[in-house]
Amino acid sequence: MTNHWNDLQYADVLMVIGANPAENHPISFRWISKAIEKGAKLISVDPRYTRTSQMANTYAQLRSGTDIAFIGGMINYILENELYHKEYVSAYTNASYIVDDQYSFKDGIFNGYDEKTRKYDKKQWGFKKDKEDKIIKDPTLKDPRCVFQLMKKHYSRYDIDTVVGVTGTDKETYKEICKAYASTGEVGKAGTILYAMGGTQHTVGTQNIRSYAILQLLLGNIGIAGGGVNALRGESNVQGSTDFGLLYHNVPGYMEVPTDADVTYQGFLDRITPKSGYLTNKPKFYTSMLKSFYGDNATKQNEFGYHFMPKLGAGKDYSYIRLFDAMYRKEFEGLMMFGANPVVGGPHASQSIKSLANLKWMVSIDLFETETSSFWKKEAGSDPASVQTEVIFLPACSSYEKEGSVTNSGRWMQYRWQAIKPKGESKADLEIVHMLARRLKELYKNSPNPSDMSLKALTWNYGESDHPDIDLVCREINGYDMKTKQQIKSFGDLKDDGSTSSGCWIYCGFYPENENLAKRRDNTNEGMSNFLNWSYAWPANRRILYNRASSDLNGKAWSKDRVGIVWNSVEGKWKGNDIPDFAATKGPDDPTFIDPFIMIAGGKGALFAGINEGPFPEHYEPYENPISNAFSSVQLNPAVQFGEKATNAKGDVSKYPIVATTYRVSEHWQSGSMTRNVPWLAELVPHMYIEISEELAKEKGIAYKDRIIVSSARGEIEAYALITKRFKPYKLKDKTVHHIGMPWHFGYNGIATGATANVLTPNIGDANTTIPEFKAFLCDIRRAK
Amino acid sequence: MSNGKTPKTIKRFNKGFIIAHWVNAGAFFTLYISALPMYTEFFDWLYPVFGGPAGARLIHRIAAVAFMLPLFIMIIFDFKGFKNWMKNIFSWKKHDLMFFPQFLREFFGLKAKVPKQDFFNAGEKVNSWLMIVTTLMLISSGLVMWFPAFFPSVVVWWAYPIHNIGLGLAVAVAVGHIYMSLVTARPSMRGITKGDVTEEYAKDHHGRWYDELQEEKQQRKQA
Amino acid sequence: MADYIKFVDVTKCDGCRACMVACKNWNDLPAEPEEFTGSIQSHNTLTANTWNVITYDEQVTANGNFEWLFRHKSCHHCGEAFCEKACPETAISHTKFGSVVVDADKCVGCGYCVNNCQFGVIQLATYVDKKGKEYRKAQKCDLCTGRLEEGLRPACVTSCHTNCLVYDDKDKVLAEAEKRLAKIKERFPNANIYNPSGIKGTTTVYLLADKPTVYGLPEDPKVALSQIVWKDYAQPLGKMMLGATTMAVIGAAISTAINKGKGEHEGGQDHE
Repeated sequence: MTNHWNDLQYADVLMVIGANPAENHPISFRWISKAIEKGAKLISVDPRYTRTSQMANTYAQLRSGTDIAFIGGMINYILENELYHKEYVSAYTNASYIVDDQYSFKDGIFNGYDEKTRKYDKKQWGFKKDKEDKIIKDPTLKDPRCVFQLMKKHYSRYDIDTVVGVTGTDKETYKEICKAYASTGEVGKAGTILYAMGGTQHTVGTQNIRSYAILQLLLGNIGIAGGGVNALRGESNVQGSTDFGLLYHNVPGYMEVPTDADVTYQGFLDRITPKSGYLTNKPKFYTSMLKSFYGDNATKQNEFGYHFMPKLGAGKDYSYIRLFDAMYRKEFEGLMMFGANPVVGGPHASQSIKSLANLKWMVSIDLFETETSSFWKKEAGSDPASVQTEVIFLPACSSYEKEGSVTNSGRWMQYRWQAIKPKGESKADLEIVHMLARRLKELYKNSPNPSDMSLKALTWNYGESDHPDIDLVCREINGYDMKTKQQIKSFGDLKDDGSTSSGCWIYCGFYPENENLAKRRDNTNEGMSNFLNWSYAWPANRRILYNRASSDLNGKAWSKDRVGIVWNSVEGKWKGNDIPDFAATKGPDDPTFIDPFIMIAGGKGALFAGINEGPFPEHYEPYENPISNAFSSVQLNPAVQFGEKATNAKGDVSKYPIVATTYRVSEHWQSGSMTRNVPWLAELVPHMYIEISEELAKEKGIAYKDRIIVSSARGEIEAYALITKRFKPYKLKDKTVHHIGMPWHFGYNGIATGATANVLTPNIGDANTTIPEFKAFLCDIRRAK
Repeated sequence: MSNGKTPKTIKRFNKGFIIAHWVNAGAFFTLYISALPMYTEFFDWLYPVFGGPAGARLIHRIAAVAFMLPLFIMIIFDFKGFKNWMKNIFSWKKHDLMFFPQFLREFFGLKAKVPKQDFFNAGEKVNSWLMIVTTLMLISSGLVMWFPAFFPSVVVWWAYPIHNIGLGLAVAVAVGHIYMSLVTARPSMRGITKGDVTEEYAKDHHGRWYDELQEEKQQRKQA
Repeated sequence: MADYIKFVDVTKCDGCRACMVACKNWNDLPAEPEEFTGSIQSHNTLTANTWNVITYDEQVTANGNFEWLFRHKSCHHCGEAFCEKACPETAISHTKFGSVVVDADKCVGCGYCVNNCQFGVIQLATYVDKKGKEYRKAQKCDLCTGRLEEGLRPACVTSCHTNCLVYDDKDKVLAEAEKRLAKIKERFPNANIYNPSGIKGTTTVYLLADKPTVYGLPEDPKVALSQIVWKDYAQPLGKMMLGATTMAVIGAAISTAINKGKGEHEGGQDHE
């Protein structure tokens, strides 16, 4: 979230696309309801009518996987009708930048594409520069080669008729939504976009979110209260875990992981540090992180322990899908899983089982026996006799049984205390890691092997018992002066000379001196419900990111009702209801006074930004799709990589004519390994079901409460048919397409059991993140005999 | 009757009628006792006797079935007696009406001159009527309460007060009836146990019936 | 003490079912997974161990709009309660909070209340005692009377994040309800406040998005004549009749004894 939960109440229009907060983020509705009560409009865009749709003023049907067409049409509508926030777009975004002459776009393909590798040369999407190496701009936005005009041209193809022919949305409803949402482009108005996995879990997932960002920049909705691009995170601490380097290509604080091509630390830093913007400070953050990893073992002489760090194979992808591909090829032996249940949660679940059987050992750390920890059983579809994997199960304790912090979608790091003692022998994840690390260090203590140096050099000073001192962990995350051991007050004080440490620079400042600010519980509303003394929000307790943009070019608030920060010329600093996400004393004299997007080189919001499949989001059909692409002859995202062929079966529309999607319900969480074991939740959703329209039921001769079989190119499952008016056939340009949906929480363990939806989902991922395309695939259904 | 001579007796009820009467009486008593604790808290101590409310309910239902049997017993085993009973209770004459004021005097132990009565005296006729009406009320409403799913809710709702009123009436009738048989007209007990009564009793209490019997005797002799 | 009521604005409900879990949690009620209901509704109706259920009705309204109607279904706590009238054990009563509660010690599990509730709320729960014997007790929502006594709001209300469930001063809540009703009429032309006067109002008042019958509620419930006859006449009268008959019999016995003592036994009753 660029904003935060409480802030939703300040929106004039809320568009929920690719999310279902009423069901999956229910508490958000406390704030959404407040907005509605004040007169805000709620728009719900979803393949089926959800509980969010019921709460909304307007509901629009959207065929799974057509978000870019939908948003592209809105962008076109806004540009055609000049409904964008003109000053904002001109001053705060890169709309005025003149694009390099090389740039072109033809029939679905941008310039710089290599068909063989399915990759673009992103360097070819640069901006035109003058002799002083400065980007050439046209503030009038009239130059045909400026970002604005190129964007206008690009989206002019997204006219309403073409769009609704692809998305299946009712035309009048679509127009109504365009009009309602575009109204937030008016100066002083705010619109917010809420999305979740319905946006990301597509082969074009990243570009989906890019399209939301472009829309928001055009309407001047970023940096202001009631605005923003807001990812509703699906787990209480998924924000925290990605902040701390959960993903394979990140170290804590969203910094890069070196590859074996980065031979020297300096060379690596040069590669990852931008030339301008706040991230020019990256070397300070990186070195401080290495100091927290290796302490006194990280010296200037040994490049701050850079060589102790494990490196990625250059150009290699270690994402989830690729790991399972590698497992299938027996490229590695062991797997440790903390609260992971891929046999239910991963794509092509039956294939996951086969891959897991190729492991020598597997450790599952979880609250309950999961479908994954018992993948070798007959119920899972395995032959127990032939599975040779040694499976170890470590009982973990629940969040109520341990102490620590979770970081919510609004980036608030909230500390929580232990409520009850852990049951039985269960242990906190932190304890498990701590005990493991201490034993490993003990084992390798005397190893002469140079490759074991990583482990030997690692500092692990959280106490001598099996129970780590969590306060020491917190202090290390924040960072301290290596000499005085004084806590660092802000990441601005971090150094690249090895004199400071910080485990995760974006959190630096949450533990200054002797107070852990994540423990704060002062619910005084100092203004705009930012609750600055409640917990701690990274970075630097700023509640709304890019809040410089809440004020106009002179530093005055765009709206009196939405004061973020304003320039106080008397005191010579930014003041207001939030902590400035901007240099606090940077005044009008500074040429960068109007550059709110401090994390981007140039400080302007990126309407034009090169990610793997191009600088502008372009609609491509999902991996499996019922119609040919109406916008170009390119069917699938051209930058998508195919993994292991054997695990990548693709279904054709002739055999699998129905579009399917998966989703969650309020009562179950993720793979259900926790919730399906809680009786009071299990009774609320005790059965796996498939939601189908009345029309499809009639066509297939399926009656109320019948059992049906859903099949895809990957497998088939049996479940109850839930026949509902909430799903409607899609009237697309050339044909009518049926759409079904199902929850993906079920498996064979626990109290509430049922078929696993992910048996059906394809093993293909987004071109940037490799997040699997769970949300759009093809299938067929029939009545179970 | 203490002179050692066996008194002359007259056949009054046959076996079928007697069985029907006692099944009815036994079932009614069981129903009454098993319902009492629910009827008024004063009798809550009865619950443990039945092994708790569930036990009371079970016994009540078994007795309810027994309660519905007498009519059939009578029709099958003593159709003549049944016919006689029916004929009697539909017959209301002056001597029947005259019965009541005298009866009240007698009931409280005062001097009374009761006119000659039928096989069933007017008091018994009233008792019969009250019994038929309350039994119908109790059985019909009881069945509805037992199987509420088969009846519309309005019917179910009405079943409760009807059962309740039926019980109140039936108990009043029963108490009166028992009192009469035990205290005021003790010899009649012989009639409903052994099936016969003394000639003397018949003459005094059911004069018209006695006269009819004598007449019949004469006729038979003449024949 | 001002009168407080529980107010359910179904148009604010987003169907999250937190109230159901909160209720089970606070009242320590067992889970009752049911067969597939054909919709996302978890339980077909209320049971003795499930005191509130969110119902989900899908309908196309007269003006062609699709509406998905959610309702927190629970005890209405009638001002004049059928169950209370039906109970032969006086186990059901009103508290000072206006909640209708069952005294488990007094309840004998006869089920009269079950058959007499017009809303199908109260149900019998079966328990097993230490000796393994089954027994029954009537159970339903008691508006968390125990919590009210401690100055807490009902568990379901505390769990509601959209303020669909409110527990507050009656006059204030009803005034706000009228305002809310006016506001939502455009989208829900049949919306109404459900606080039936025929049963002297309820302590759980609803703002319904459509006619009561759409939700399976009686349009204008009244305390049935049968119940008035029973509770207010038949039961006292029956008891009186029992007493009167007994008194008459005792009186007769005494009177007879006295008169006998006078040696005036004539009238031909005792021919010994």
